[in-house]
Order: sequence, then C-alpha cells, then structure tokens
Amino acid sequence: MRPAAAAGLLAALAVTALLAGRTESVAAIAAGLLVACLLAPRRWRSVYLLGALVPAAGVLVITPFVETIGSHPLWNGPVVPVLGHLDVTTEELADGLFQALRLAAVTLAFAAYALLLDHDDLLASARLARRSALTVALATRLLPTLERDAAGLVLALRGRGVEVTGVRGRARLLSPLLATSLERGLNVAEAMEARGFGRPGSTRVPPPAWRVRDRLALIAAPLAIGAGALWL
Amino acid sequence: MALTKHLIEVRDLCFTYPDAPGPALDGVSLTVEAGERVALLGPSGSGKSTLLRALAGLVPHFHGGRFEGSVTVDGLDTRRSRPADLAGTVATLFQESEEQVVFSDVEREVAFGLENVGTPPDAILPRARAALASAGVARLGGRRVGEVSGGELQRVCLASVLALEPRLLLLDEPTSQLDAELGDVVSLAGEGAAVIVAEQRPERVLPAVDRVIFVEEGRVLLDAPREEALRWLGRERPAYLPRRPAPVPPRGCPAGGLVCRLERVTFAYREDLPILEDLALELRRGEIVALEGPNGSGKTTLARLVTGLLEPDAGAILRTGRASYLTQEPGRHLICERVRDEVALGVGGDRARALSALAEVGLAGAAERHPRDLSSGERERVALACVLATKPDLLVLDEPTRGLDPERKHDLVRLLRAGAAGRATVVVTHDPVFAAAVADRTVSLARPGREVLAPRPATFTGSWPAITRRHASSSVAPVPEGTRAPCVLAWLGARDPEARQRHWTRH
Repeated sequence: MRPAAAAGLLAALAVTALLAGRTESVAAIAAGLLVACLLAPRRWRSVYLLGALVPAAGVLVITPFVETIGSHPLWNGPVVPVLGHLDVTTEELADGLFQALRLAAVTLAFAAYALLLDHDDLLASARLARRSALTVALATRLLPTLERDAAGLVLALRGRGVEVTGVRGRARLLSPLLATSLERGLNVAEAMEARGFGRPGSTRVPPPAWRVRDRLALIAAPLAIGAGALWL
Repeated sequence: MALTKHLIEVRDLCFTYPDAPGPALDGVSLTVEAGERVALLGPSGSGKSTLLRALAGLVPHFHGGRFEGSVTVDGLDTRRSRPADLAGTVATLFQESEEQVVFSDVEREVAFGLENVGTPPDAILPRARAALASAGVARLGGRRVGEVSGGELQRVCLASVLALEPRLLLLDEPTSQLDAELGDVVSLAGEGAAVIVAEQRPERVLPAVDRVIFVEEGRVLLDAPREEALRWLGRERPAYLPRRPAPVPPRGCPAGGLVCRLERVTFAYREDLPILEDLALELRRGEIVALEGPNGSGKTTLARLVTGLLEPDAGAILRTGRASYLTQEPGRHLICERVRDEVALGVGGDRARALSALAEVGLAGAAERHPRDLSSGERERVALACVLATKPDLLVLDEPTRGLDPERKHDLVRLLRAGAAGRATVVVTHDPVFAAAVADRTVSLARPGREVLAPRPATFTGSWPAITRRHASSSVAPVPEGTRAPCVLAWLGARDPEARQRHWTRH
C-alpha cells in the first residue's frame, strides 16, 4: 500500500477511536493496530509498543482513583487530602478501560506510522511545501538516528570492556549523543546545500501509480470516521 | 558573469574558519581545465577538504569565516553564487558517508540531487539506477540505507554525485572504505569532466590522474604533472609515493597459544540474508591478521563476533582472555570530559595505565584536554589508547587507517607490531599496502552469494593450520604452512590494471 494512503487510513483510525463511544469498538481498533505494529521487525517495535502501551496502562490504573462516577462500589478507601475520598466503582473501572483503550489506539496508530511506513515515500507524496515536508521527514528520523548513535556508543564502550548499565550509565551518553546529533545535522545540511537543495526549478521523481488497495484505503478512511461518529 | 577560459580559477585564496587560530588555506592559486584529473595530497588537516569546499562554494557560504582572494568555477564567482547554484556543475563527495545521506531509501537518495537540479522527471530514476550500476551497487537499488555496510554506503554516495554528471567532480577521500573491486574511482567521472580527488591512499588514484597538488599547512607546495610530481614526492615526501606491498620479512615470532577459535559459525541480521555461514577461524597470540573482503562481505560482523559483541546464530566461538574492539570512526565514540578519564574508563579508572597508553599513541600532553577539542586524527588516537590500555589478549581494529595519512599509517604499523607479541591482533582493512606492512597473514571474505576471489597465502612463516574455506559466502582462504606473502597489489593486478579489470569482469 502507498504510504500516503496508509497514513490516511491510520489517521482515520485514530480519529475513529476518539469519536467512538463503545468500549468494544475502540478495543477492536486498538487490537487491529496492535497486530499491525507486531508486523514490524522485533528489534524496532518494542520501544514503540512500550511507548504506546505503558501510558495506556497508567490511565487504566489511575482513572478509577481520580474519577468519582458510578453507584456500584467495589472498594472504599480512605479520604486523602486534595484527592478526596478514594474508591473504585464498576463504572470508574469501565471508563478507565475505555479511556486507556482510546489512548492505546491513538498511540498505536502513531507507532504503526513510525514502524511500518516509508517516510521517504510520504515525503514524495507531499507535492506542495517540500521544504516543510523534508523537515518533518528528517525530524521523524531523529529518534531512530539517535537510537542508532546510542547503539554505536554502547558498542564502542563494550568494545573497551565498559558495560553501560543503569540510569546513570545511560545518562552519561546524553551529552555525546547531543554533540553527535548537532554535528550530523550540520553535515547533512552542508551536503544538502551542495546537492542543490532549495534551488528553484526542482523536479520530482514521478510517483508510482495508485493501486486498488490504495484507493480502497482512501475510501475507507472517511467511512471509518463517519462510522465512529455515528454508530461505533 | 566573469569570463574565464579555465574551468576553475583560484587566485590568492586565504581562508580562516570562524574562531580558528590560523588560516586553513593560505595564498592558494591554481587553475584546472575541463577534463583534467587532479590528485590532491597532503597530511591530515593540511587544508585539502577546505580547498574542495571552497571550490564547491561551501566556503565561505556555509561555514562563514574570513575569505580573501577569489574562486571562479565554470565562470561563476563563488562569492556571489551559492553552493546550490553550483550544484549540477559541481558535485561533491564528502568524507563521511553517513553524514551526507538525506533519505532512507537508496534509490531515492541518489535521485535527490537530480531532483534538485531540475532533471526531467522521467529521466531521474534511469539516471539514478545507471549511477548505482557505475558505482558497482546496482543490487542495492531497493534497499534501505540503514541496511547497507559502510563501504556500500560510500558507493551509494559516490553514485549520488556521479548521477549528476557534473563538469567538476570533487571527491574527498572516496576510497577510504572502498574495496579494490570498484577499481579506478577517478575514471568513473564522465568524459570531459574535471576531477579533483583528495586521497590518503595515493596508490588508488595516482595511476589515473594527470596532475598532483600537494598541500601542507594550507599552502600549495607542489602543483605539477604526475611524472614530475612522483619525482618530487620521492625526494621530499617519500611516504606519499604509491607503494606496492612488498612481502614482509619473517617476523621471527612463532605462533603462540590459541586466543580465539570459531567453529562453523553462522550469522545473519535477516533470516533471508546470511552474512557469514559455516565459518572456521583460529587466532593465536603473537600474530596480526588482516581481514579483507569486498564491501558487504561481513568483515565488521566477523570482527564483532570474535570480540563477543555479537553472538552467532549457529556454531561456537571459544575465546580466552580479554578481547577489545576499536570501532570504525572511533573518534565519535568518546563520552568523557577529559582525555585521561576517557582512556581510564575501560581499566577501572586506573590513571597510570591510561597515561601510559596515551604516551604510547603520542598524546601524553593531551591528557587533561576535552576529547572534542582535539582534531579528528587525535580523537582516533585517543580511542586507540582506550583499547590499548585494556591490554587485551585479542585486539580487533575495524578500519583503523580510514582518514590516516601515510605517515600516520606508518606510525600505526610500528605501534601494532611493537605490541603484537602479547596478543592476537585482527585488523579489518581495505588497504592492501597497510595490510601487507602490518599483517602476518590475510583472511579474505567473499560477499554472500559470490565465490571467494582467490586464495590468499599467508605472509606468516609459522604454522597456521586452521584457516580453511568453509562456504562460498564467507570463505577464508587456506593458509599454506611456511609460505610468504606475494605482493598483494600484484594479486590485485596493480602491475597490470587491464588484467585486473579483466579479472573483475570475469568474476
């Protein structure tokens, strides 16, 4: 599928998850997106999945304690200053689950975008505002690049017999990572200028033809949003 | 537009980088005609890269600084024309491949420059693919940039500049990670294009150039036709003469105990793309092994396997004692605020050992400085001190000569040979001259799916029984006992470039 069509569909699914009112609908969307993320190579996906699922789990755990809805208490706790009376009701649990699934669906949509889509192709799809699109594409690549640089640093240190462990060990990498990132940014900018970036009269590689599934994805995107708003 | 009969005309160029204590270029004047092939030689930090940047207009436009004199390229004064305006007419290949890549797809990366200079859309991809083929990496067309090896990436970057079919091609150490398979880089430029190539391996470019410029401390010491330049180099800078790697004399150090043994080792980053298969290798104390092979053949992977930084998918690796590994571009992998602390990091903070290792690499006076305040060459020596300080039983250096000028290479050979007796040393390299000077024997890997190119006899006079070819995709040559090395460049065909070309074409 063309990245532009896939990105449109992912964005539509995220919007649908925000609009849908039923827990099972949101759960189905989140499950589908989770399966999509699991198609990515194992070495890359764990960071993104953690980033998507840990906040959702946090919402699930915290919501029942900070909400005050429902009339079917499961647990009555003490009165805590600022927070008030702590309790957990069936309705709070249900709402916590719903909000957690909603957050998971949205973050999983972004994870699927980062893990599965070719950002270069997305950039190529942007026929207008190429400078902005390229900036976005380069910024999108910052995290994987930093991750690769960090892996290089860890490897170099392991090569000298130094194991990088714990928060303090990893924190020592931040300063050299930042310096390396700045150096690379300057060098890439220099190379882009030398290769004529920003010169008037630029042309583009002709985009590949749209296929049936690309068209179907584009049709499905507004339909999913409509369904989310009206029925799900 | 100024009218000039030369493709390049540089007049009294002086340039000082912002905040630099002295000029990087000092009174440089030269002209280059269309179609000329020029080698730019000189020590590290002598101003070669700055001169190339001045010809591309990046100095002063991108870097700022104090610029005096004038540079005219194809009639355009670089003070008035921005680098982007010169793009297409001028194409520059920078030293660091990873830091000039914009896209994550190989084909799109090569197409980027073509798009910028307004190439007709239908011609972009065919020209990009043709350039990839010229650079010998047509097979990488559908690959991701992050999946290719350092040498392959350098070829992709080379393809990016060749695709532009420029009138002036500027190459800054284009062969630092390239195997000999690509042959003569200079002749890849189109007919009528001028090429200026800065290079630290003179033997790779001097046969293909018409003229040599030697730069030192920002000044042009020599600007002469090749034959005259060779005589001058012989008199004034003999280290820069192209050398054939003469067989090394017997080292006189017999094989020591076994330090590392690989038994039927297989490794793949992707299940469908094995890098090493069924590989066997032994490394013994006292020997230096040069690990060679074409780009993408798995040299770095093997280096990481023997040091325990990677685990094999199958087979066994038996190792005794401590192993240390020096990465490619090690100067980028320094994390401490002071050089002394950086070196002491791997030896439990033992500053005496750190200072001793720094003295070994000639940096005793830099112990209290910040690593990032040092030059790139000094940073790499700090990184070398970091691994030497650990006094490893197995030392693996990955492309240690990248960016080193011939005199520093000579120093590195002396340093490695001086400490060779106490450890097994593996040097991953594309530099046959360095390999012949430093190594006792050579292990050659072939690219997956290709046969090993030729057997590579050992240069060591002792007994090396266990190096045997196991598989076409990761073969190591059999090492006959008691043999001496042949001239490595002779094997590569340096005495007869046409024969070499025939050899490569045949294979």
